[in-house]
Formats: sequence, C-alpha cells, structure tokens
Amino acid sequence: MKFKINRNQLIQGVQGVMKAISSRTTIPILTGVKMTVDSGGMTLTGSDSDISIERFIPAEENGEINLEVQTPGSIILQARYFSEIVKKLPDETVEIEVGERFETQMRSGASEFSLIGLDPEEYPRLPQVEEQNVFSIQGDLLKMMIRQTVFAVSTSETRPILTGVNWSLEDGQLTCVATDSHRLAQRTVKINSNATELSFRNVVIPGKSLNELSKIVEDSEELVQIVVTNNQILFKTKNTLFFSRLLDGNFPDTSKLLPGDSKTTLVLGTKELLQAIDRASLLAREGRNNVVKLVTLNENELEISSNSPEIGKVFEHVAITSMVGEELKISFNAKYMMEALKAMDCSEIKILFTGAMRPFLIEPQSGDSIKQLILPVRTY
Amino acid sequence: MGWEELRKKQPRVVKTLTNSLKKNRLAHAYVFEGGNGTGKMETALMLARAFLCREKNGVSPCGECSDCKRIDSGNHPDVHIVSPEGQSIKIDQIRGLQKEFSYHGMESEKKVYIVEHADKMTVQAANSLLKFLEEPTSPTIACILTEQVHRLLDTILSRSQVLSFSPLPPDLLVEALTEEGISLPLAKITAALTNDKSKAHEICREEWFAQARDKVIQLTEGLRNRPNHVLVTLQENWLSLFKEKNQLDIFLSLLLIWYKDLLFIQLSEPDKLIFIDQEDRLKEQALQNSQKRLSEKMLAILTAKQRLGANVNPQALMEQLVLRLREG
Repeated sequence: MKFKINRNQLIQGVQGVMKAISSRTTIPILTGVKMTVDSGGMTLTGSDSDISIERFIPAEENGEINLEVQTPGSIILQARYFSEIVKKLPDETVEIEVGERFETQMRSGASEFSLIGLDPEEYPRLPQVEEQNVFSIQGDLLKMMIRQTVFAVSTSETRPILTGVNWSLEDGQLTCVATDSHRLAQRTVKINSNATELSFRNVVIPGKSLNELSKIVEDSEELVQIVVTNNQILFKTKNTLFFSRLLDGNFPDTSKLLPGDSKTTLVLGTKELLQAIDRASLLAREGRNNVVKLVTLNENELEISSNSPEIGKVFEHVAITSMVGEELKISFNAKYMMEALKAMDCSEIKILFTGAMRPFLIEPQSGDSIKQLILPVRTY
Repeated sequence: MGWEELRKKQPRVVKTLTNSLKKNRLAHAYVFEGGNGTGKMETALMLARAFLCREKNGVSPCGECSDCKRIDSGNHPDVHIVSPEGQSIKIDQIRGLQKEFSYHGMESEKKVYIVEHADKMTVQAANSLLKFLEEPTSPTIACILTEQVHRLLDTILSRSQVLSFSPLPPDLLVEALTEEGISLPLAKITAALTNDKSKAHEICREEWFAQARDKVIQLTEGLRNRPNHVLVTLQENWLSLFKEKNQLDIFLSLLLIWYKDLLFIQLSEPDKLIFIDQEDRLKEQALQNSQKRLSEKMLAILTAKQRLGANVNPQALMEQLVLRLREG
C-alpha cells in the first residue's frame, strides 16, 4: 500500500473516527484505526465494538485532489499515536507506505515516522449494507427525535433492554419509544422511504450510541440514510457511516400503557409550567423522588406546590388556558416532569389525567407526534 | 491445533463436546474443571472456533478463516475472555460481560464467553454472573474455567454442565522433559509441581528454583541438626530469595513434596520418590519422624499455603511454619 494524502483531510478523517475508539477495550485490535485505500479514496474505521464509525475521504472532491494512490491496500495503526502524529506533521501532504510485515512509513516534509502496523484481516467485519432496506430522515429531525426520547432511557442495568430506545417502522411511520418504567417518551415521525413496504419492529438502539450519534449528525436538512440489519443499525451521512450494535431482547409492549380516555384535560403554556415546576423543585428532595404537587383550583388556574418539612414549602399559581373534567390533586417527580416538558417543542401543551393514581399523558396542544407519559408518586 | 491433538490429552471431554457439536446440542454454559496445564483454555478456544467458524468441516473448524484466526489472536469481537485483574475477578469485569450479554453479537448472533480462573471471582462477581447464566438469550456459550471447582458457587455449578479434565500422568511429562535435556531429578520435581510442559520448562530455567530446592534440603536438615538456629538462618537466607508470592508458594510445595517423600520411605515405596538424588538424607530424616508427626507437619505446610493466599505477611508465615515444624 502506498499513497499520498492531504494532511488536513487526514486530520479531519482521523478525528472523526477517534470518537468511536476507546482506550479501555478488551479486544486489542480495537485500539487501532483501520485505513483502506483504493482508487476511489480512503476509508478510515474506528470502533469500540458498541459503535463503529467509518469515514470516507474521496480521492477527488470539488476539483481538488485529496489523495494520490499508488498501490491500494489496508493497514491498522495504533490510533492514539497515529492521531497525535498526524496532527503534528510539518508538511501539507503525508506519504504513507506499508512495507513488509505491516511496517508503515509515514513521511511528511523532512520528518519520517516508522510505525508497527497490525494485520487488517484481524479487524471486526462491519455488516454489509443492502441498499434496498434504506429509509432516510433529515439530519435536524433525527437529532430532534433523539433529543426527545433518549433522556427517558433507564440508567440502571437491571433491565438492560430499557437502556435503549425502541424503534419501529410500520406503514411509513417511524415510532421511537424510551422508558425507564417510571416514565415514557414516544415520538412518531412520517418518513419518506423508497420502499414503502419496509417495516421492522423491536429495534432497540442503546441510548449511549444515540447520544454519540447526535454529536456527529449535522443540524441541517441534509438527509441521513438509515439501514437496519440483524445485529446493527447504520446511519449514513455524506462521508460518514455510523454503526451501532443493537440491544438483545424484547422491548416491552408500550402501546397498551398509553391511556385512551381522560378524566381531566388541561391546556396550558409549556414554558410557564416548566418554570413553575423548576422553582418548586428547588425545595423538593432527590431522596424523596423530587415530589411536586399539582392541584387544579378553577377553570383558569392551578397550583404547584412542594413541601419539605425540614426546609420549607412553596406555592405558586399558574394560569391555564382551559380545563375540562374533574378536579384533581396529583403528585409527581419534578425531574421527570421537567425533562418531559423540555422535550416538547411547542408553546402550548395538553395534559391528560385519568386520576391521581394513574399515569398521565403530556401531548402538544395540536397533534400527537410526541407523547410523554409519567407515573405519579403516591403521597400520604 | 485440532480436536485430535486435544483428544490425546483429554479423550473423554473431547468426546462429549464433539458429540454435542455433531448433534447440535451444546449446553449454554460449561464448567471446565481440572488442574493447571490440562488444556482447559485450549479446549475452550477450540470450542469457540468450532462454534463460530463459518467454514467448518463437520465438527472441526477450518483454522484458516478470519474467524478462527482472530480467535487465536484474541481479536474476535464476539469472543470475550475474562481473567483475574490482580488477585480476583472484580464485579466490574463481570458487569462489562453483562453489558455484552445484553447486546446483539457484533458479527453474528453467536457469542462465546470464557471466564478464566473463575474461582477467583469475588462473591458479588459470582452472583452477578449467575444472573446471565440463568437467562441465556441468543445462542451463547459460556465456558467457566477453574482449577478449584469446589470454590465455585453451587448455584453456578447447578446451572452449567461440568466437564472434569483429568490430570496428565506425571510419568509422561518426566519422560518428555528428560528427552529435552533436563536432568532426571529436576524433571521429577517440576513434574510434581505442574502438569504443563511449557510451564515446567519455565520453572526449570529460573535460577532461583534450583536454589529453592537446595533451601528445602537446608531447612529440613537444619530442623534436624540445629533446630534452635533455624529461625536465625531463616532471616538471613531465605526471605531475600523469595520475593514474589508465587515463589514462596512453590517453595512450600517443594517442602510438601519432601515430607511426602519421607512418608514414602516409611511406607517402603522408594520408587515413588521425587527427590530421587536425596535418598540417603531422606532415609536419615525418616528415621526420626513418626507417620503421625509427618502428617501433622504436612498439615502445617498446607495451612501455611492457604494463609499465603490470604495475604499473610511472608516472614510471619515462615516463622510460624518453622516453629510448628520444629515441635516434632
């Protein structure tokens, strides 16, 4: 393998894949970054076995030549050293040549490095992408979907399946559900797919991977292509592929959890409620579930209160747009409520209660693309 | 390495495993139990290869494909090997494994987990291992390797198939070692310490090992001739020699072998001796010890070994041992 590459392109590429490489891995080969060069360009791969990132540097882009390939091939180099070296090389271009037994020469300007490489055959194989099972979502929408669901995943490992977000696709509608069994966040999106009959169920993506993904996806309208395989899910942007392993197991059926009817329906401003609860939670205690109490007063007002006997208490009145149904007193965890409200991207919300001991549902005032379900806290 | 080579070492185990492979009836968890060097790890890796190889021929993996090669080099993403970090297997290591259990495999649905020295798991680690032995999800195999099966939790044993690896006959090892130019007395002693040929070689090469052997003779002679002096010479000579814990452990094993030899003399079975070049000394010492006393002394050495494992200060340990050996 022998090629010359523009150093800036290489730096960007390596930094892109370094996000996936962890120094604490049990599989030695994963401390390396894999480079594959052919006439079309160069592919860089990094992985920690949970997520894998692949970056492609085209040989030629916008009339500029990034890469001059003399002989194609592939090699694995220790990522930590390689990325530091590339950053500090003196010249605009880097020449890389792999010799006998994976010994790699890197030349740039007057400096020359010789690194010991590893056998590229040893690297895990990433799933082959089948183009027919592709659907795509705009980048900014994907990020929004992640933001609106991923906060609700469970952080405890007792039920590993709940540490992920369940994606399912049916009739051109993508549903994302996350729950930690105390609250639930659901977001549905219509997607435009070439294959309209494409559908899948129980694809559970680890919350950690989604957080990483949203750092990589750009906040633009550019489409992100998504492919689901048996073990992994792939997100594809212009020159980056992001693979994540899926969680194994059956995600609980959440469709029955959402209440159908309601006894009390409130409509009110998102921001006003969020701020009131934020203030009330100052006196609520983490150790006691952050309990905040909501009481409907009349058609135009409700009261948010919190009481910690050893600290003090707080009352606040919040104006509401409308209230239909029975009067209500309910207590809930302020943290869950605030996170759910932050995930709503509308100015007015609708809250549907079915009693003080039943979970309640938060929806946008119009439409039901986002649903947030929260279990109340029993108080005495 | 193939099944055939392993079969020479462990015919029974290999037969069980290959038959279950043939009938596609592998258990989800195995406990491989047997002494050092009986081929537990080789068998576990072999099973992993046979399980994951995509081009296997019957029950034998091809050994050429990237799956087989990567298992050999420890780079296969779906084969996870856990071995003790320092003294024990920590709960965090098992948690890491637990996380792996909850994910789909990286390349295929199949996964293999190998826990080496499973007896060194902390209680918490062992209990959390139980949880996923109980509920295997996708096709996975767990191999739990141990030299001391009785130290595993009963609950682990009851959830897995236990395969006992028979120890290698020491005679074979002695023969192999002498063929490679190691003197017969040394070969006998190392063969008594380990069943593993490569490990035996390693021990023979160590300089301190030859000294350790001399020290055993010095100590026992000292106990016989000048019992009041022994504690002093212990300070001066021995403790500096055995800096590492495992060195002291080997020294105690040698001492145990010496007393076993004394017992053999008393039982008039001189052909079972291990310190064969010391027969005269052994005979002299055997005259001064009754069988009962010998067994008491051996018990003292075994207790010392156990305490060494529990991090007792080596000097205090040796002094106590010498005092107890002197009593007789």
